[in-house]
Amino acid sequence: MKKTIIPFGPQHPVLPEPLVLDLILDDEKVIDAVPTIGYIHRGLEMMVERVEYTEMGFVVERICGICSFMHGMGYAVSLESIMNVEVPERAKWLRLIWAEISRVQSHLLWLGLGADAFGFENLFMHCWRMREEVLDIFEKTTGGRIIHSVNRIGGVKRDVSDSELAAILARLQELAKAFEETARIFASDPSIAHRLGGVGVLSAADALETAAVGPMARASGIRTDTRLYGANLYDQIEFEPVVETAGDCLARAVVRMREIPQSIDIVRQAIEKMPKGEGLPLENKPRGNPVGETFTRLEQPRGEVLYYVKANGTKYLERFRARTPTFANIPAMIKLVKGCDLADVPNIILTIDPCISCTER
Amino acid sequence: MDREPFLARVEGYHKGGWRLALINAASVLTADEAEQGAVDVTWAFARDAEFEHIRERIMPGDEVPSISPSFSAAFLYENEMRELFGLNVTGINVDLQGQLYKTSQKVPFSPSAIRARLEANAAAGIASATMPVAGAPAHGAAKPAAIAPAAAPAPAASKPGAAE
Amino acid sequence: MSFFSKSPWIFHYDASSCNGCDIEVLACLTPFYDLERFGIVNTGNPKHADILLITGSVNERNIEIVQNLYRQMPDPKVVVAVGACACSGGIFARAYNIQGGVDKVVPVDVYVPGCAARPESIIDGVVQGIAALEQKRKKTA
Ligand code: SF4
Repeated sequence: MKKTIIPFGPQHPVLPEPLVLDLILDDEKVIDAVPTIGYIHRGLEMMVERVEYTEMGFVVERICGICSFMHGMGYAVSLESIMNVEVPERAKWLRLIWAEISRVQSHLLWLGLGADAFGFENLFMHCWRMREEVLDIFEKTTGGRIIHSVNRIGGVKRDVSDSELAAILARLQELAKAFEETARIFASDPSIAHRLGGVGVLSAADALETAAVGPMARASGIRTDTRLYGANLYDQIEFEPVVETAGDCLARAVVRMREIPQSIDIVRQAIEKMPKGEGLPLENKPRGNPVGETFTRLEQPRGEVLYYVKANGTKYLERFRARTPTFANIPAMIKLVKGCDLADVPNIILTIDPCISCTER
Repeated sequence: MDREPFLARVEGYHKGGWRLALINAASVLTADEAEQGAVDVTWAFARDAEFEHIRERIMPGDEVPSISPSFSAAFLYENEMRELFGLNVTGINVDLQGQLYKTSQKVPFSPSAIRARLEANAAAGIASATMPVAGAPAHGAAKPAAIAPAAAPAPAASKPGAAE
Repeated sequence: MSFFSKSPWIFHYDASSCNGCDIEVLACLTPFYDLERFGIVNTGNPKHADILLITGSVNERNIEIVQNLYRQMPDPKVVVAVGACACSGGIFARAYNIQGGVDKVVPVDVYVPGCAARPESIIDGVVQGIAALEQKRKKTA
């Protein structure tokens, strides 16, 4: 049988973003996949040359419009650790709340896209309708639907009043109830089980070998979650990472689905634990220019993100590097695509929840 | 860099159940003649909350051995280093032949490219970072660089690299 | 504009956007904003499309793709640049790999500002794009 090479992408109906995989096929089986990226490469990391560190946060937020808040937070946390700035407690809690709400937003977005890809258009519409609720919360509290710009080095830009927080929680809990129905469809529909079950199985050993992170690794039975290490107040939150053991596309979908109510519960705990009141301090302004370097790890919706920042005492950072979760998950994705049927490729690619603009920066 | 001890150390991480967290390159910007064109490469590994790294300074013409025999997932980082920094990474398991990114500038993150851009900016009066000047104290020389993984609870989780 | 004589089909391409504008374009197609009430259908095939929605600015690698997609669309056609990036390069204009707005490569008819562009303004932009399409159609008829 002659080998065929099929280019997958850059413009493909299931992908909102351009990614290219050259699939090398033997009949219907994929035997190799060669990635090419760079369609969205902007050279954002090198913008530190021209953008002062105080403003670089706004650029970092635009690494990706889905985890925008977390990118902004990661940048702020990195510089705070270099400059030894203590962030006021209420600001930390607000960050945690926003971070968890963005996880809900991102997972709903993914579920919708995933449903669309395997042919459930109305489920896509349902998920995105619920997601609008979350975006509404963001717009009310930060002023932006997807690009929020609330993180500052040393704190957050604006407060959310206690009564507003209570209203947000009520809204989220209602959403969690509405989501139960969707989750039930996902769990019980035979065609979904047929389409996703047993497809693209990643074993725990392979997940470790390919350095998979986030839901991708958790669906393969690895209990890994950067939030467990306690930074950014997560030590005061009670939660157990969602772990599934099947390692297939369905398990990856289930992990994300189960994380939605969990994140809403984390928001509840945070609202209970945070210091209450009006006019509490939100920001400690840093002084001078940063010197030093640091690694920061955060748990984004797609997995662990790593930032490396090196500052040399001038207004401009010397090096900024973001290693986003999708970048870490691509080797695992390639591993999964090898040996699968051509018709399963879109589903496998989608279930790693790829974020290409993150990957290429 | 010493190839064999380095690869042995990397393999040690592999055997110990560590996950490859990041390979990061950073061009060294300095006025020091002897250090021109140097790139610092950091290999970082994670095992739950633990986070350690190895750092090597790569001089122009040096080879960087691929760690793909131990960590097969390293190929993306290594191809990236080669394309963006122009480092000579040898023995990558998946060699993408310089087709990963296609940038308008060749090796845009390399020390010489950064220098060229910064000098062009300065000549054109565009606000940007500047290259350190010989004689003046090096950027950031006042304080030694502190490295701590900000999200890990104990600073003890990071050991500075051997060959700094 | 009270009614349109045709139902235009749109085609969305992500040049090098940050995803922000992309997901807003997608959000426009969902029931909450419902761009489809104008008879619009989102298609994945440039040969079926009348309106090209581009988010993000052009870089070295996707210049060809944008040109290709534009070439493949049948006449008359309209390009709507969505977001600051597509209009001018936006926040990334200073990045080394960015060439600038989409109008560097293909003629743009409607510019939708915003970073990220709001769904309301995207809808407005598309509606203006439909008007531009009608005009072009009259001219060629
Ligand atoms: S205009 Fe803003 S939100 Fe839209 S793609 Fe560009 S950076 Fe992202």
